[in-house]
Amino acid sequence: MAGISMNGLSKVYPGGVVAVDRLDLQVEDGEFFALLGPSGCGKTTLLRTIAGLEQSSAGSLSIGGRVVTDLPPGDRNVAMVFQDYALFPHMTVADNIAYPLRIQKVGRTERRGSAEETANGLSLAGLLERRPAELSGGQQQRVALARAIVSRPSVFLFDEPLSNLDARLRLEARTFLKRLQKELGVTTVFVTHDQAEALALADRMAIMEHGRIRQIGSPREVFARPANTFVANFIGSTPMNLLDATVADGSLHLACGTIPVPADVRSLVHEGDTLVVGIRPEYLTMTPGEHDDGLRGTVSVVENLGTYALVTLENEAQTFGVVTGEADEPALGARCSAVPQPGRVLLYGAEDGELITAERTEQQEPAEAAS
Amino acid sequence: MRRANALGLAMIALPMLVITVFIGLPIVLAVAFSLGHTGGPNSNLSAIAQHEHKSNGGLGTTAAYHEVLSDHQNIRDLIVTIVVTLISVIAVLVASWAVALYLRLSGSRLAKTFAALSVVPLFIPVVIASYAIRQFYNGDGFFRGLAHHAGWSNPPILSSTTAGITLGEIWVSIPFAVLMISSGLAAVPDALIEAARDAGASLARTVRTILVPMCAIPTVIAVTFTAIGILGSFTVPYLTGPASPNMLGVTMQHYFSAFAEPQQAEVLAVVVFVIASLAAVWYVRANATAARRSGATS
Repeated sequence: MAGISMNGLSKVYPGGVVAVDRLDLQVEDGEFFALLGPSGCGKTTLLRTIAGLEQSSAGSLSIGGRVVTDLPPGDRNVAMVFQDYALFPHMTVADNIAYPLRIQKVGRTERRGSAEETANGLSLAGLLERRPAELSGGQQQRVALARAIVSRPSVFLFDEPLSNLDARLRLEARTFLKRLQKELGVTTVFVTHDQAEALALADRMAIMEHGRIRQIGSPREVFARPANTFVANFIGSTPMNLLDATVADGSLHLACGTIPVPADVRSLVHEGDTLVVGIRPEYLTMTPGEHDDGLRGTVSVVENLGTYALVTLENEAQTFGVVTGEADEPALGARCSAVPQPGRVLLYGAEDGELITAERTEQQEPAEAAS
Repeated sequence: MRRANALGLAMIALPMLVITVFIGLPIVLAVAFSLGHTGGPNSNLSAIAQHEHKSNGGLGTTAAYHEVLSDHQNIRDLIVTIVVTLISVIAVLVASWAVALYLRLSGSRLAKTFAALSVVPLFIPVVIASYAIRQFYNGDGFFRGLAHHAGWSNPPILSSTTAGITLGEIWVSIPFAVLMISSGLAAVPDALIEAARDAGASLARTVRTILVPMCAIPTVIAVTFTAIGILGSFTVPYLTGPASPNMLGVTMQHYFSAFAEPQQAEVLAVVVFVIASLAAVWYVRANATAARRSGATS
């Protein structure tokens, strides 16, 4: 078992495209760590750099305390599961699983035994003589996992391994993966663009944009307190409401209403400050009619999402969403109000988009004093 | 359903007819002529023969085969044909795999230039290429001139030798083999190569355990068609080879036009056909095995 440590790690492609930009990141021993971000954010490049399939341009990378920055993939003691599984089509399931052991020159009998044992653990026992083309997507995924497991690596690297499965199988595979990782206790880095996967699987996660990490934290932290408007926009099955506001008379004045300044940041904002208010649609309580407290608007869209509905409210200058129960769906054109749940309103700087928190202010003050 | 079947049959009827008339029938007539059936459709050919063996009916006579295959000169030509074919095929296979691997694994500009250059010989008519090869390796050709300047006082004259034929066959055959193997290698996803590297495989091991097996069919196609092409080649051995021994294509032409013995020429053609058939059988078996392994026929 081993933790992963990256210091100033960069990957710049010929032509100057910066895929990974001076990353400092620690993944703890045994941790399930998700790299999340939109397409082109550099998450897969980072994973491939950890695997050794891409040579880093700068910085250092250690696995289990051993510097592996310049080592070839085979010497890093990592095992990667590829997006399309990368099973060798000319080999049987048994040969695919045993391939890493064959490379390590393990004897035929021993590697066959290891392959069978690993296959049994993943319910592949009856499929050992089949070829990949004769397997379903879920079975192929388990063969790819078995090939990664069989050589007992220090680190698993998963490159969107669930993306080729249908929705139902993906849910099953997600649960299976999480249980397997906990049983094996192997440090795992999991790349995905699906935030639901990351939130469900990861112990901690990093959200990337343009080769840099915008936030690291537990899924709960990242969901409840996005560190900036990019993360706030990216995380959540329904996008967070990000509304311009001005501080006046101790309240936040928005185009669609007025709400109190959250108590925990009251001392950090000043009269006349322009800010961005972040409220998740799930944390707004909607009531029919117009009230003085809260946000007001006219119902313009109602999206039925099964057990709940996403209601879009509009007024002249702002649009925001509210999640309601299926029994509370308002009629189109109705005037409604929405009140934020206590402690659920976040404030972001209008200029930099960063979350306003006491911790951030404490960090900024010494830096400003030094400059 | 029945209408669809009829349409399908109608669509393949014309090509089947062309193959039957222009390939199947001449093969049957040639084999019959070589066995002494000189009448009927073969009577015109028989009319120009200076010397032939006639059958007395039934399956025919193997006298022409006895005559041709008991001639030591023909046996030497047969051996030259097989040896040149084997050496050329091996050299083409090694060279085309090396070029195709370089093209597949290197994304450099040089590799792209190579990719473009490697198929250039396809666009040069064989007769021109053969003449150029003959001149290149001649006594006063570029090769010897260059060797002299480099300090090699007595370089060999490769024109009009078996080595010259082999060099010519390799030059002519490499582009097709490179194209076949390159396309096979291009079809191997990068992820498979990376999965092998991730498992710790060296480049050589990746080639041996992943790329070669996955490109088995393109390789078999390249080998089969190269071998069959060289077995029956005429222009290259005629222009670059010695008067004797030479390849059977040249010998056949001599029998036919110089000696006016078409029956003996067709005996040699049947011999070449039988050898080529062995390559074809290997090709069919390899294809069937690959299809079975991929589950296509399971």
